Amino acid sequence: MSEDENKENQQLETPVATPEVKEAKKEEKQQIIYAPGRKKQRQKKAKKEKKIILGDKSYTEEDLFSTFEEDPRMASTVSVDSTIDANLDDLFKVVGTNEENIEQLDAVPYSYWRMTFSYLFKKPMAIISVVIIVLIILLAIFGPMIHSYDPILVSHGTVLRNPDGVFTDELVGGYLGPNSKYWFGLCGSNMGTWFEGTDMWTDVWLGTRLSLVLGTVVALIEVVVGIIIGALWGYIRWLDPILIEVRNFINNIPEILLDILLMQFFTPYMADYGFWIIVLLLSMFSWIGLAGFVRNQIIIIRNREYNIASQTMGTNTVNMITHNLLPYLISVIVTDISTAIPAAISAEVGLSFFNLSFNIADGDITLGQVLTQAVNGTAFLSHPYLLLGPFIVIIPLTVGFFYLGLALSDATDPRTHR
Amino acid sequence: MTSYIVGYTIIILIVLFIVFCVLVKRRVLFANTPSMQKIFAHPLLFYSFRRLGSALISLILAILVTFFLIRLATPADNTCYKLFYDPKISELVYNLRCDNWKENMGFSGTMLQQLINYFYAILPFPKTLCVTEINVDLGMYTITGCRNFIFDFGRIYKLAGFTDGGFVWDYILPRMGVSFEIGIIAVVLELALGYPFGILMAKYENGWFDRIGKAYIISVDAIPGIAYYYIWLALLCSVFMLPMTYDADNFLSWLPAILTMAFTGMAGIGLWVRRYMVDEFNADYVKFARSKGLSESRILWVHILRNAVVPLVRTFPSAVIGALLGTYYLENIYGIPGIGQAVMVAINSNNSSLLSGIIIISALLSILSYLLGDIVTALCDPRISFTKE
Repeated sequence: MSEDENKENQQLETPVATPEVKEAKKEEKQQIIYAPGRKKQRQKKAKKEKKIILGDKSYTEEDLFSTFEEDPRMASTVSVDSTIDANLDDLFKVVGTNEENIEQLDAVPYSYWRMTFSYLFKKPMAIISVVIIVLIILLAIFGPMIHSYDPILVSHGTVLRNPDGVFTDELVGGYLGPNSKYWFGLCGSNMGTWFEGTDMWTDVWLGTRLSLVLGTVVALIEVVVGIIIGALWGYIRWLDPILIEVRNFINNIPEILLDILLMQFFTPYMADYGFWIIVLLLSMFSWIGLAGFVRNQIIIIRNREYNIASQTMGTNTVNMITHNLLPYLISVIVTDISTAIPAAISAEVGLSFFNLSFNIADGDITLGQVLTQAVNGTAFLSHPYLLLGPFIVIIPLTVGFFYLGLALSDATDPRTHR
Repeated sequence: MTSYIVGYTIIILIVLFIVFCVLVKRRVLFANTPSMQKIFAHPLLFYSFRRLGSALISLILAILVTFFLIRLATPADNTCYKLFYDPKISELVYNLRCDNWKENMGFSGTMLQQLINYFYAILPFPKTLCVTEINVDLGMYTITGCRNFIFDFGRIYKLAGFTDGGFVWDYILPRMGVSFEIGIIAVVLELALGYPFGILMAKYENGWFDRIGKAYIISVDAIPGIAYYYIWLALLCSVFMLPMTYDADNFLSWLPAILTMAFTGMAGIGLWVRRYMVDEFNADYVKFARSKGLSESRILWVHILRNAVVPLVRTFPSAVIGALLGTYYLENIYGIPGIGQAVMVAINSNNSSLLSGIIIISALLSILSYLLGDIVTALCDPRISFTKE
């Protein structure tokens, strides 16, 4: 050992290339073949010396299979204290076995959804939002029955008809503020449109029905399509450039223009398939946002060790996505469903502003249509109560869904469940 | 003649510039001059070239799709019928007028020929395009007018009150000016309001200002835009007595649109500023600065703000360029003659060339704004490099 140390010290002190140093370096070069291209050289050498190759390095059998105690090279480093061995019997005593305790868990039983809901309902804003949404849904179902006037029939002249077709005795029509009978007022004739003396209360609640159904369907389609495409986009590498081009393309074209063009195609079909046409228009481009977000999250987590381990053990793509990647995103999914509903309702309001939404004459009315008809022209400036009904419904509904979405995003995140 | 010379020299200069940059990068020219290398072979320059190339492909795709959609949605024969049908004229004259009109508007020939003609007109090189007018009233005679263009989006035709023969570009340009005037003031105002809003929300996190601010942001996000704009209309015009229709001379009449846009945009900016600043509060350099004894105010306004703004700088060019494109709703509500209104007019009067032109301009501007945003981010963030390693 001392000779080697002297040699090393000599080499450190005199960096001049003495013949000894040159020989030592040549020996080193002959022993070390690390480059990947020299695999065959390594294999031949290992065979000669009867060594086993693992990766880059070669090991003798002794290296791999000798135990710690038997290896003579390790003799100096192992210091077995014989006193500890002798005391092991005093330190530990075998007490016995208990079959029942093997199965018992000491942790608190944890149910994900139970914790989510208990966390959610501790927040006052979430409770208020849920109450408001439930109230609006109930009113949408039962509201129009309170006044049994058909809201969409034209009143020739100024008389309201009820759905049985019987003319009432009252001559009511034109604009009327909220009073004890018509709680949201009456909307008067608007240059011969369908709103002659119609009851805003019934209109608003019928509109809420269709808006809610439309919003929920569009939100579900958007979330399902967005998450599937986003997950595939993040996980399958060759899809990445293709879908990035698709996203650029979608962002370049203004959506409203495409909506207008498509509606010009579909106008003859609105009477029969109106609902599904509007669903198509609203969900056509809205999934790309969620898909992009999911793709970013999946790119972040796909290189984590548990995913690489699953992949190495041979899990196929579908199972990887559904068992490993998507459960990580559950809080994103739930939040997005509940914020996509008010987004769909707002988008429909935007469509009806351009007269692209349902045709009132066919009997379909949405909140957007109610709002558009109310602000059409300048009538609402002198009759501001026309906006009262739609606003009383739209604002709490959309804000409530939004607050619920934000509260859910915190509640469904398992890291907050402590 | 001069427009030909000017146009072609500009094109040749651009091509020569790109070739020069490539040669400098490949070290064919100026191989040993580091200052020239730094300017002309900068990785940011080549990143911009690559982005422009891929952006051109998406632009061409967008143009193709809208071209076919518009041609299919509004067939030329229907518009021809609406324009020229008159029970008093003979069928020969009707056909003559129809064919002439189609030729002038670019609707003649098969779809492929129309596409080629359209691309020929759009591509920015100098050319001469001719328009033929047939006048049948006082005997048949034709007038042909030719004009030199760099690029031409087509012409608007007479329907619903347009004067005949106007050019799309002449129609769009003043409207873009009006939209831009209003939009740029709104952008400056929303930045000036939004940043303090977000910073104060972050500074007093979970205080009363934060709660009110969050409620405001949620109300802007959730409520449908139109309902929101009408609330602002009621507030500004009934309470503050601002005029309701736009008038180019009266600055007070500009205010409702500007203030509505500013207060709506302020919510978005405030949200992101607050988010990025709160993320920085737990960073190591903040703790270090505190331990060194810097005042909290200095840490917030000087150190944290600079780090938080880096991801937000990306949105400045989009905001400025978006001001050029205007908004449909506000222009409709307040009667502003901007480009948003031009879209509605184009659709209602079935002017497909106007619609195509607006779509192409907006696509081009949005591509440009994304690219500028990335460049501005790269300039502000020294950690980003666009080289391939």
